Amino acid sequence: MPRTCRLHPFTVLALAAAATATTVAAGRWWLSVAVLLACLLLAAWARRARRLAGLAAAILAPAFGSQLLIHSMADTAGGHVLAAAGPLRITAEGLATAGALGLRTGVLVVAGLLCTLLVDRHDLVAAVDLSPAPPQLGYLLAATLLLLPALEQRQRAIGQAQLLRGATPGGGPRGWFRRVRLRSVPLVLGALQDAADRSAHLAARGFPAAGPHTRLREVPDSAAQRRVRRIALACIVLGPVAVLAPTWAGAA
Amino acid sequence: MSTGPNRVLGLELARFRYSGASRDTLSGINLSLAPGSLTVVLGNSGSGKSTLGAVLAGMLPRHDGDALDATLHLAGQRIHHRPGAAVRIDPVGWARQVGLLPQDARHYLSGVRATVAEELALGLENAGVPRAQMHRRIAALADRLELHALLERDPAQLSGGQERLVALAALALDAPAVLVLDEPLAGLDAAVAARICELLDRLRSGGTALVLLARAVDRLAAGADTVLALREGSCHELDTAVPADAAPVAPAVRRAPGTRDEVLLGFSGVGIGYPGSARPVVEGLELTVRAGECVGLAGPNGSGKTTVLKAAAGLLCPSAGQVRGKSLAAGTVGLLLQNPSDQLFERTVAREVAFGLPRRGPAAARIPAVLDSLGLREHAQAHPYELPASSRRLVALATVLVREPEVLLLDEPTEALDADGLALLHAALAAVLDRGGAVLLATHDEAFMAATAHRVHRMGPAVAARVRDRTGGPG
Ligand SMILES: Nc1ncnc2c1ncn2[C@@H]1O[C@H](COP(=O)(O)OP(=O)(O)OP(=O)(O)O)[C@@H](O)[C@H]1O
Ligand SMILES: [Mg+2]
Repeated sequence: MPRTCRLHPFTVLALAAAATATTVAAGRWWLSVAVLLACLLLAAWARRARRLAGLAAAILAPAFGSQLLIHSMADTAGGHVLAAAGPLRITAEGLATAGALGLRTGVLVVAGLLCTLLVDRHDLVAAVDLSPAPPQLGYLLAATLLLLPALEQRQRAIGQAQLLRGATPGGGPRGWFRRVRLRSVPLVLGALQDAADRSAHLAARGFPAAGPHTRLREVPDSAAQRRVRRIALACIVLGPVAVLAPTWAGAA
Repeated sequence: MSTGPNRVLGLELARFRYSGASRDTLSGINLSLAPGSLTVVLGNSGSGKSTLGAVLAGMLPRHDGDALDATLHLAGQRIHHRPGAAVRIDPVGWARQVGLLPQDARHYLSGVRATVAEELALGLENAGVPRAQMHRRIAALADRLELHALLERDPAQLSGGQERLVALAALALDAPAVLVLDEPLAGLDAAVAARICELLDRLRSGGTALVLLARAVDRLAAGADTVLALREGSCHELDTAVPADAAPVAPAVRRAPGTRDEVLLGFSGVGIGYPGSARPVVEGLELTVRAGECVGLAGPNGSGKTTVLKAAAGLLCPSAGQVRGKSLAAGTVGLLLQNPSDQLFERTVAREVAFGLPRRGPAAARIPAVLDSLGLREHAQAHPYELPASSRRLVALATVLVREPEVLLLDEPTEALDADGLALLHAALAAVLDRGGAVLLATHDEAFMAATAHRVHRMGPAVAARVRDRTGGPG
C-alpha cells in the first residue's frame, strides 16, 4: 500500500516549487543531485520509488537523448574535442552543458512527478474549492484530474464486456495493439454517452457551484504548514533573485 | 402558498417530441400533485415514463430541438413551453423543488467524489451548507438507512443495489418538495427496500409529493392516491383500486432437474476479493451446478452475488479455492451483467450481437434467429442506447444467447424488463435447460426466483455490514 502524507496539497506544491526554482536558478550540479536524491528518498518513504523511477525514466530518456545530441555531439564552440566524426564532434564543454541542463530538467520533472504521487487528487480539488479561487477552477481541475481514472475504469468495463464475447487480445505488443484497436472507439463513445447521461444530474445538484459553497472533506492544514508555505513562496521569488543577483551585478 | 390550488407541481402537457423523432413521445397528460401525495405512473418499457419524469424534473426539453407544448406550475410560477420557444430552466432552482432518481441510478452518482459520504453531500456542499450541519444530516440519514458501513467507500466500487441506495439517500438529503422516482426498489434487497419505503413514508407525511414511475404495482405503489396508466405516451386514469397482482405473472417454467448428473460448474472453498479491499467479499463458497439445473443466488445487497457470477465467467480470479467448469474462452459460459451499459459498447444492435463471432461460423448464422426470438428484429440498426431499457437488456441477452452457452449466468435479469421481456427471458431460460445446459441466476425478484430456480443458494450478509463497528469511531 502506498503511503500518503497528511499535508495540505498546497504545502507539497509550494515546497516542490521552491526547491525546483532555487535549484534551477543556482545551476550547481551538486545541488541538483542532492534535490534528486531527496525526491527519491521521499518517494521511497511513500513506497512509490519504483513508480517514480519508471515515470521519470519514460519522460527523461528522450529529453536527455536530444540534449546530448544538440549540446555535445553537434557542439561547434568547445575546444576540448574528445571524439570527432565528420561534422559531429564530442567536446568536453558540450558534455558539461548537456549534463548541467539534463540535471535541471531532471529536477523539474522528478519534483513534478513526486507531487503527483504524494498529493491526493481529491484533497487537491477540495483545497482549491475551499480556497478563494473562482469555483470554475475547482471544476476544471476536478474534470481533468478525475477524467483519467474514470476512463481507466470504463476501459476495464469494456475489456470485460469484450472478454465475455471471447475477445482475448493476448499479451505482448501485438496484444496491446489489438486491445487499443478494439477498445478505443467504444471508450470514446462510451465516455461521451456517460458524460451526457450524468451532466443533467450534475447540473441539478448544483455542480459546479456558482456561488458560495462548502466541502465535507477536511483538508489537513495547520498554522505551521501555512508558515512553511509562506516561506516557500518567498523562496520561489527570492531564491532565484539571490542566486542571480551577483551575476547581474557582475555583468553591470 | 401563493397560488390558489393546493398543489406543489402541476403539468398540462399537450405533446412532447424528441428532436429528430418522427412521432410524439408524450401527448395529452395532465398531472396535479398535492403535498404529501403519491402518484404512480404505470407503463411498459418505452411507454414514455422516463420522458415524463425528465419533463417533470426540468431536464427536458433540451435546448437542441426537442418540441414541448406544455404548461407547468411550480412553486407559484407558471412555465409555458411552446415548440421552438422552450423556456430556459435554471437546473439548480428547479432541482430544489423537484428531484429525479433515474432508472439507471449510476447516472445520478457524480463520479467526482472520493467517498459515499462526500457523494451524499454534493448537493448540500454546492448550496453552501456548513460542514457541521452536513455531518449531522448525513449521520441521521445513515442511521435511518443503516448505511454507515458504506460512508467511507468509493462510490465507483459499489454493488448495483448499493448504487441505487446511495442515489436515493442523496436525493432524500436534498429534500426537494417533489420526488420523481424511476423504479426505486429495483435491485434492492428486502431489508433495504423496507427501509426505503419507511423513509419515503416519512417524507410523504412531511409534505413531500412522490411520483413513482413503475412497470407494475408493487408494495410502494399500493398506497397511491392517483394511478395513471401510460400507453404509447398518452395517459389513462385508473381508479386507485388496482389489483395488487397486476405484476407480470411469470409462466411456470419450473421443471425437474435433468436426469444427467454432469457438474457444469463447481465452486469449492472459493474466496474472492477486490484489490484494495481489506478482506475477501466471498469466503469458503461451496456450490455445484449440474446439467439441467437452475440454481438461484440470493442474498442482501453487497453480499457478493455479482462477484460470484463474474468469477464463474472467468472475469475475476478467486484468491482461494477453485472454480471448476467449462471455460469462458470455449464459449460455453455466458454471463448477462447486472447493468446492460456494462455489456454493450457497439454502435448498432446488429454489430453488438455479431461482435467477436467468426463471420462464417455457425454462431453468426444464428444472429437473425436470435434477434427474432427476442423481438429485436426491427431494432437491428438502432443504437443500443436509444432503445428503451427493457429492449436494451434483451440486446445484452442476445449477445449471450447467440453463443448458445452451456452455462447461462444471469445477474438481476428482470430489472427493467417489462412483461413481454420477462416472457422472452423465461423462454430463453427453458431453452438452455432443455438442451442440457444449466442456469445460475442472482435476483432480488422473489416471484421470478420462485418461478425459475430449482434450488436457492443463500449468500451471507455483506462483509461490509459485518465490520460495521469499525466505522463507529473514525480516528
Ligand atoms: N470493483 C469493486 N472494487 C471493490 N469492491 C467492490 C467492487 N465491486 C463490488 N465491490 C464490493 O464487493 C461487495 C460485493 O459486491 P457484489 O456486486 O458482488 O454484490 P451483490 O451481491 O451483487 O449486490 P447487489 O444485490 O446490490 O447487486 C460489495 O460490498 C461491493 O461494494
Ligand atoms: Mg449484483
